[in-house]
Amino acid sequence: MTPAAQTSRRDFLGKTAAAAGGIVAAPYVITSKALGDGLTPPASDRIVMGGIGIGNMGAGDQNAFLGRPDVQYVAVCDVRRKWRDDAKNRVDGKYGTKDCAAYVDFRELLARDDIDAVHIATPDHWHAIMTIAACRTGKDVYLQKPETLVLRDGPAMIAAARRYGRVVSGGSQRVMEDYRGVVDPIWAGEIGNVKSIDIAVDGPSMSCYLPGQPAPDDIDWNLWLGPAPWQPYHPGRCDGNFGTKGNSWRSYFDFSGGSLTDWGAHHCGGAIFAADLREMQPEKATWHPAESGKPAWVSVTYPNGVEIHHNRPGQFQTVPPSLAHGNSIKFVGDGAARARKPVPSYRGQGGIYGDFIECVKTRERPFRDIELAVNTMTAPHLIGIAYRLERSLQWDRQAQKFLKDPEADRFCDRARREPWIL
Amino acid sequence: MAIDSKNLDDSFAALAAFDWGKDAAPLAAIDAAVIATRGDAALRADLEKRFGAVLSSAASRAAKDYACRKLSIIGTAASVPVAAALLSDADNSHMARYALQRIGGPEARTALRKALESVGGELAIGMISSLADLADAGSVPQLAKLLTADGPLALAAARALGRIPTSESAAALAGAKVGGEVGRAVKDSQLSIAESRLAAGDRAGALALYEAVSKEVGEVPAGHRDRDVRVAAIRGMVVTRDETSST
Repeated sequence: MTPAAQTSRRDFLGKTAAAAGGIVAAPYVITSKALGDGLTPPASDRIVMGGIGIGNMGAGDQNAFLGRPDVQYVAVCDVRRKWRDDAKNRVDGKYGTKDCAAYVDFRELLARDDIDAVHIATPDHWHAIMTIAACRTGKDVYLQKPETLVLRDGPAMIAAARRYGRVVSGGSQRVMEDYRGVVDPIWAGEIGNVKSIDIAVDGPSMSCYLPGQPAPDDIDWNLWLGPAPWQPYHPGRCDGNFGTKGNSWRSYFDFSGGSLTDWGAHHCGGAIFAADLREMQPEKATWHPAESGKPAWVSVTYPNGVEIHHNRPGQFQTVPPSLAHGNSIKFVGDGAARARKPVPSYRGQGGIYGDFIECVKTRERPFRDIELAVNTMTAPHLIGIAYRLERSLQWDRQAQKFLKDPEADRFCDRARREPWIL
Repeated sequence: MAIDSKNLDDSFAALAAFDWGKDAAPLAAIDAAVIATRGDAALRADLEKRFGAVLSSAASRAAKDYACRKLSIIGTAASVPVAAALLSDADNSHMARYALQRIGGPEARTALRKALESVGGELAIGMISSLADLADAGSVPQLAKLLTADGPLALAAARALGRIPTSESAAALAGAKVGGEVGRAVKDSQLSIAESRLAAGDRAGALALYEAVSKEVGEVPAGHRDRDVRVAAIRGMVVTRDETSST
């Protein structure tokens, strides 16, 4: 932590001790957990955290942070009562207290000055607004992938993070942890320079026409929808299961980019990391029409000429110099001799969560820094827009617009439902 | 391209009676036509007219939602009046903006500004949001006036001005005498405009804004909400000076 941040947390504990007497301050004064021991830092040196959106992925994130001795978890937020209560109970059970605050509205959690960092695992349509709000209120952010729903989200999130010097980490643990079998040899130069990558993952999200039902009492439906277009409650619209073929929010256009951005964040992230493209964004997306009974597919091309092919038919036989991660990612190199490069890695201990916490302490940029995450997500977004328009596109990274293509530019953003504003 | 008019007529008939939960299969022909008519102004104009008719009809909210989404892809200035008519309708205002914001252009911007004069509450915030997304310089005088409105409107106006990086916006923000959350939003927007100036190569302009924000916030104790703003302004000053000295 920076001296300022340390002071802030300690000041808070001191102030609450004075203001709230024994109610808030007591545990920090009298329990061994608060004082710390050989394994647990004292409360004043722990990162104070809260979580927003604590369903399937959020619960996993919460458990990862809750299990860390250098984190003091104090607040949960979810628009669903059951998830909110479950999340609070996990915290209280861990600490043997009843102190964890539970909120329906994320703005109340972010208004707390004692919280250093939040993790966010809501549906994608909330990511930008919440991340930017967290940065403005002095919180570091661990944000589940896919970090962006539309292209315009990315620059706004980066700007907020940089403006306030916040640590904002994307949340794809698989990039570093699942794909090491291809990352290490590629960074070691075993296939030479990567020339092309084939990725197999399902396509973009779909429209949702599910019927309406009365919203149950345990969900704040208006807040669940937030900036997304109003539509009636249906459990299939907001179910957090990992499917993308219907009856889950990951299936639908207003809330997700579908498999293409959901699993695509992992596969594209792994591919882009392995090929060392994280600093770049693609400069064009090429539409390959269906032919000979084979479906249409899309590729993106980076400024250095590397191509990523999405669902190119029949491309998973590996002939040297190529390398594959199962049937999901295949790299083709030029076989040229190339010097080994050191593989960037996590800081701290405990995977991507430890990387984030370490960066909160040191103020370094995390492994999946928001800028690298935004660059990564640009690839599946461009692929998705090319599928929707059924044609090729050229992307101007500097202008964050398509090249002389006002029709495609319309897909960079969507109007947010009132009263939400980016 | 060849469009099956009869098939399309049937699809639009289905759209007129469409609602959430009904069979959406007939809409697929419309989806396909929207994409396939690219480059054919006459066919696109025909489609646009048909969508406009849905918006003007007594069709369901779901049908109007669908029509607005399609107009957001192919709509032109010709669709602005029919979409603008829905801006004051609480059920359809957002989707009308969904179309208008993407149509853009002077007609859509004017419609949004005009609606901002007449609607209130959250609908007005919606207009502000879209005008901000469009970086509409023409709305700055209206937004400046709203800085002294009730809390949520003033907050939205302050945020919007930061996304319209003109000297008029900067002046409006600099002249705002507001505190609390709106005051912090004003400073956040000033920082945003400073970043825009820096990105555009106007280092002197950026530095002046950073210095003004830093001075206005002044010394604040650790833990004070405004401390982050002051640190951000000082960081901006350092970056701007670094860039100046390195060129």
